Amino acid sequence: MNKQETMFKSQKMEVKVHSLGRVEGDLDVKVIVEDGVVVDAWTEATMFRGFEMILKGKDPLAGLIVTPRICGICGGSHLTKAVYALDTAWGTEVPPNATLIRNIAQAAETIQSIPRWFYALFAIGLTHQNYASSKLYDEVVRRWAPFEGEHYEIGVTVSAKPVEIYAIFGGQWPHSSFMVPGGVVSAPSLSDITRSISILEYYRENWLEKIFLGSSVERWLENKTWADVLAWLDEKPEHRDSDLGLFIRYGMEIGLDKYGAGPGRYLAAGNFFHPQKYRYPTIEGRNEALIARSGVFDGEEYHDFDQARVREDHTHSFYRGSGSLHPFEGVTEPVDPVEGQKEGKYTFAKAPRYDLPGVGEIPMEVGPLARQVMAGRPGAEKWQDYDPLFLNIIKEVGPSAMVRVLARVHEAAKYYLRMHEWLKQIDLNEKFYIKPKELPEGRGFGATEAARGALADWIHIKDGKIENYQVVTPTAWNISPRDRHGQRGPIETAMIGVPVRNPEDPVELAHLAQSYDSCLVCTVHAYDAKSHKELAKYEVIKI
Amino acid sequence: MLWMHGGACNGNTQSFLNAEEPTVIDLITDFGINILYHHSLSMEFGDQVHRLFDQILNDEVPLDIFVFEGTVIQGPNGTGHYDMLFDRPKKDWILEFAKKAQYVVAVGDCACWGGIPATKPNPSESTGLQYLKEERGGFLGSHFRSKAGLPVINIPGCPIHPDWVSQVLVAVATGRVGDVQLDDLQRPQTFFKTFTHSGCTRNQFFEWKEPVEEFGQGTRKGCLFYEQGCRGPMTRSSCNRILWNRQSSKTRAGMPCIGCTEPQFPYFDLAPGTVFKTQKVLGSIPKEVPTGTDPLSYSVNAAMARTVAPKLAKEDMFVP
Repeated sequence: MNKQETMFKSQKMEVKVHSLGRVEGDLDVKVIVEDGVVVDAWTEATMFRGFEMILKGKDPLAGLIVTPRICGICGGSHLTKAVYALDTAWGTEVPPNATLIRNIAQAAETIQSIPRWFYALFAIGLTHQNYASSKLYDEVVRRWAPFEGEHYEIGVTVSAKPVEIYAIFGGQWPHSSFMVPGGVVSAPSLSDITRSISILEYYRENWLEKIFLGSSVERWLENKTWADVLAWLDEKPEHRDSDLGLFIRYGMEIGLDKYGAGPGRYLAAGNFFHPQKYRYPTIEGRNEALIARSGVFDGEEYHDFDQARVREDHTHSFYRGSGSLHPFEGVTEPVDPVEGQKEGKYTFAKAPRYDLPGVGEIPMEVGPLARQVMAGRPGAEKWQDYDPLFLNIIKEVGPSAMVRVLARVHEAAKYYLRMHEWLKQIDLNEKFYIKPKELPEGRGFGATEAARGALADWIHIKDGKIENYQVVTPTAWNISPRDRHGQRGPIETAMIGVPVRNPEDPVELAHLAQSYDSCLVCTVHAYDAKSHKELAKYEVIKI
Repeated sequence: MLWMHGGACNGNTQSFLNAEEPTVIDLITDFGINILYHHSLSMEFGDQVHRLFDQILNDEVPLDIFVFEGTVIQGPNGTGHYDMLFDRPKKDWILEFAKKAQYVVAVGDCACWGGIPATKPNPSESTGLQYLKEERGGFLGSHFRSKAGLPVINIPGCPIHPDWVSQVLVAVATGRVGDVQLDDLQRPQTFFKTFTHSGCTRNQFFEWKEPVEEFGQGTRKGCLFYEQGCRGPMTRSSCNRILWNRQSSKTRAGMPCIGCTEPQFPYFDLAPGTVFKTQKVLGSIPKEVPTGTDPLSYSVNAAMARTVAPKLAKEDMFVP
């Protein structure tokens, strides 16, 4: 037998991937693997806490305390959108200083999250022995192995620094409630500003430039196309050998650029406000005042983001009934999963959808890639971010798990510069808070971009208390299940086509889910649930 | 050590990662604490984790410390179906691990008392390990003792300060667990005997009864206890002794303490009119006076203090 081949003919199995380590409970993923490739997928969120039910009937300010506790990783982002929901409901005036501090705090949380997520949650998976034959494997392990890796330690340790800036303005991170309608509670002193600048510099010098980029922030941000990125890689050994350089080379070698494209439709709620243009926050005036723009990209064209077009479908979610409601009308009535499963429901996540004019309700990917695609939209005002790099990348090489990671880390350089700018603009002798009138009735909408994507609150205040409160998280957008039209959620879509070399150890599924961020599969537990018995549809033919 | 999460936001893990002395990495590499499994930090996954869980339950792998973050979710109707792990109610795993461990450590309000998820109407039927709010019992029952003979060690806070948990772990790792004295809510006294108030930079304004009139500019002077509902004088924590993120604390930055280390948090179940507002009687006397005093002594003291307050009690201390 000089030639032995193993051919898999119609090898089909169901693999259930149990995950731990999600932010809002655990996520299981069920996939059908055929001939070593995922052909269908279902995402299942397995935990329910009921925050929206807790908020009903409470003090209008309760969202400032409760919603940051939905997620300890992006609690500051929860606070940010919760406060803007109240600002719009009460018609407050927010002094420019307060907007600057809110922006700085929001950016600090994100630049903290980038090294923490990259090293502690994402890159450790790249040291999996599946890749032992890669030329770069030994170097990857030397740098990124959990706890022991040289850069793992630096990256995880430095991630504690940016939130020191958060603590200077907000008292602590995580879980402060220092943003209040009409501004912020703090009024910094000169030393608070100078200390913050020093911490930013520490972050840049000790990690961002020295370890991660291997180049100056400014040089990296000159890259406007994928070709520029490849040229940057070859420009200097410092670029190629930086953690980012290593990630790009290794990612292409192990095929992270080959799978995980996702739905190719992106939504961003936008982030950071121009301090003068959002002095009087309203729902209608929001888009124009944003620095990092909101929007919807349907794969071909850009559209303005309009909160009135957001829907939450719960046909396949463990909530009573079925249908699709705008969050102002949102209802959260959980059912026992055992009962829900009888109606074809399979997850605690609802299915957020965007009602695109002329198209209907469609699933959208949110997150850093969505934000960076939106940054490529022509027509930015001069205070707004315009950055065509990722629009070019998705056109040139297409989205993938690797591109999603790149979009995330790219933001460290951008936000670092912005934070400097905002710190410079704070006027220590001006106001940080203007006491608002607490109206007994009102509706508000607040949104921001958590590190992992669009995050928004809809609040309805009646008789001086919360009548209805609905939160739509980035995780909900991305891990959403099928809707009443049978459309898969973004991660369900992105799973399709993912190669699974070893169904008992499907590390590729972990990379894909993690490329959407740590709210998902930090660790996966896999078992081939039915493959050996009920689903014995595969056969191995040896020639 | 096995670190598990239930109805959690992961905030305690995030806070833990900010630890500096020692860092989380030092804890593992220098103090030899072996993290058998942590949902966010471990490389191991899949069958390895399931096998590990089985080995612990079969006594093949000893479990020294079981750290639990988040609430125990019991809903709906006690089934635990609202929080499943490996197709099994997570509460069942928690019960088994608690019985195997030498020490059981509850980190954060959720694990200690039920926290925010257990706030009325508590839709997930959440509870803490050995308390539900201030009522002893919780998921494991008031008689529960870990193998080393201790009740659950409660390290409350929403979230915990990283030092509170890392120092307790160092104490265990260095044979000093005998020095960890627990208070009547099973909290280590070394962190929870003093008040949030202890070390607050606004104490001089507290002494002279000088209030913060409003947020923002007003926080450059004054005390948040009188109008903004600050619970610093009634809350056991070391927030102003061991600063947060090495920089500050909520009260230093101008945010009222919301009492997050106490089982009653969130206070008044967040009823309308209670958030960031001091509850008063007769329009001026705080309904709750600092721990250790009584309304009458408080009022006498307040009147006296206001009368003799020096001029600087009205000045900006935290100048630009």
